[in-house]
Amino acid sequence: METQSEFGLSPKEKKELYYLLLKCRMFDERFRKLFRAGRFAGTYFSAVGQEATSVVPTYKLLPQDFIGPAHRELGCNIVRSPLKVIAAQIYARANSPDKGLSHPCHYGYKPSNIITPASTVAGQTVLAVGVALAYKIRKEPYVALAFVGEGGTAMGPWYEAINFAAVHKLPIVFIVQNNLWGESVPARLVGAFEDFSHRADGVGMPGVSIDGNNVLEVWQTAASAISCARRGEGPTLIEMKTYRWYGHSEIDPADYRPKEEVEYWKKRDPIAAYEKYLMDNKKLTLEDKKKFEEQIDKEIDEAVEYAEAADYGPAEWVLGDVYADFKAGAPDRP
Amino acid sequence: MGRVITYIDAITEALDQEMARDERVFLIGEDIGLYGGVFKATKGLQKKYGEYRVIDSPISENLIVGSGVGAALAGMRPVPEIQFADFVSPAMDQIIQQAAKIRYRTGGAWSVPLVVRICCGGDVGGGLYHSQMNEAWFVHCPGLKVVMPSNPYDAKGLLLAAIRDPDPVLYFEHKRLYRSLKAEVPEGDYTVPIGPAEVKKTGKDMTIAAYALMLVWAMEAAEKLEKEGISCEVIDMKTLLPIDKQTILESVKKTGKALLLQEAPKTAGVMAEISAIITEEVFDYLDAPVMRLAGLDVPPIPFAPPYEKFYLPTVDRILKKARQLKAY
Repeated sequence: METQSEFGLSPKEKKELYYLLLKCRMFDERFRKLFRAGRFAGTYFSAVGQEATSVVPTYKLLPQDFIGPAHRELGCNIVRSPLKVIAAQIYARANSPDKGLSHPCHYGYKPSNIITPASTVAGQTVLAVGVALAYKIRKEPYVALAFVGEGGTAMGPWYEAINFAAVHKLPIVFIVQNNLWGESVPARLVGAFEDFSHRADGVGMPGVSIDGNNVLEVWQTAASAISCARRGEGPTLIEMKTYRWYGHSEIDPADYRPKEEVEYWKKRDPIAAYEKYLMDNKKLTLEDKKKFEEQIDKEIDEAVEYAEAADYGPAEWVLGDVYADFKAGAPDRP
Repeated sequence: MGRVITYIDAITEALDQEMARDERVFLIGEDIGLYGGVFKATKGLQKKYGEYRVIDSPISENLIVGSGVGAALAGMRPVPEIQFADFVSPAMDQIIQQAAKIRYRTGGAWSVPLVVRICCGGDVGGGLYHSQMNEAWFVHCPGLKVVMPSNPYDAKGLLLAAIRDPDPVLYFEHKRLYRSLKAEVPEGDYTVPIGPAEVKKTGKDMTIAAYALMLVWAMEAAEKLEKEGISCEVIDMKTLLPIDKQTILESVKKTGKALLLQEAPKTAGVMAEISAIITEEVFDYLDAPVMRLAGLDVPPIPFAPPYEKFYLPTVDRILKKARQLKAY
């Protein structure tokens, strides 16, 4: 039996990582079904296919480390937040951390140090730079992770963020999830190169492109960049090539994509590949998997029950949380 | 008589004292460190506090404000500077989609104790890109607070209050007032509360509401009008969001007439809102239509000196408008 850690992960940790990936996938597939069954309002943004890019870098972060998500970082929340909290956020009920004020899948939870995202993409990368700056000013050994899709890297603020982080060697890691599509716009119309890690070249930051569907490659690259940042050696940009199996949200049939492309990427499922690796190396059994699935199913059931049992918040909550020290004006309309 | 200092020195002193008192406070902006600011508002501070408390940023306004928002989330008290109000537009996303919305979108879990100092205003020959008054953009964004001092005492007190406020405050400082105004300012610590307006002069014939440079000109005009037998009550709004309705409405109920002054273009400016509030809430007390005197509806402010004078609601124009309102 393997006792020494390989890739910096013990056998137990490797299994735990599998469990988290599986949990992310199962939760996601369940919520797609719940949306189609009309169980919650708005829409649902699936991250199926690109789980490794968010679950894996988040695994083993310190609680003080900060996450600036884009809007498909279910995985970060799966690792750091209770499922009940995630479900309640999607249902926009009174027990959601945002009280139902934000938007489905704009997950954030203060105890997990994950900021609820704005929908203006790349915005949170700038916030994450600010958090990293605070850590640097206070000489604290913490890091920030900033997530963005390849689409968001075309935004001006993104350059301002990576440039400033590079200049000051801030403790931050930029993760670019290149899933080939920014809603319906293909990556070839966003960058004049195959590898979005080239975005780092112009600012003097190390950039690396990796297979975002290879769990162990993601782990090694992210862990090394994170410890580099933690040691004060500066930021890294990691492009993780991956794929979004479904539409931008559940109301998007994604029929702008060639069928062959979708099929190709479904065969490169990050979780199935990792599972095969673990089983081939006798680190996971079918029995383990079955046990995990049962456990996760039960936890998801409880989370859904928790969300559905709650009411929407009272209408007066609309006027709360605008300022700390006074309430917004009560409406004088009939 | 106590110590007399300028408006800009009051700002520098507030920053200095608060940085000494609270190590969470840091400044970030263009030319603020080595150079001490293009107007010298941050003179000497980098030398005193080091380059990570007074950070010379690249030309990246979105980053200047956004890194402040992020650092505020991480428990700091950032005071980013926008060198000219005209340059705030690249930072709009961070101000409006992040700073203003974070408390709300997190159900009150996170707050953004941030002060963005914005140097604004005309009558300095600054031309089209160094004179803008764009406060109205932000007054339309609940979640922000917007303040604009008109004198050295308020400049220091409002800045200290803003830095200690738990929510994002846009602190507009008028460059025309930097060195043209001197007044008594306490050397020690004090705050001017965010919210309340102040009656600067009592009167009975009309209420004049204004802020920043327009307030200074309103006071000058009111003195002249007094000699003509027109008695004006002058209100310094100071805080534009949230609006202190009460002080304005009480005054208009007493005088029955309102003249609202604004340096920014007239259409959809702050005074359009004040006018609406007055007509909605105290219509029965009005003896005349609410009148506004504002900048022109052009992309402000044109450069050539006679153009700038033509644009501005000068003291002469205030006098004319006030006489017109008195005669109504």
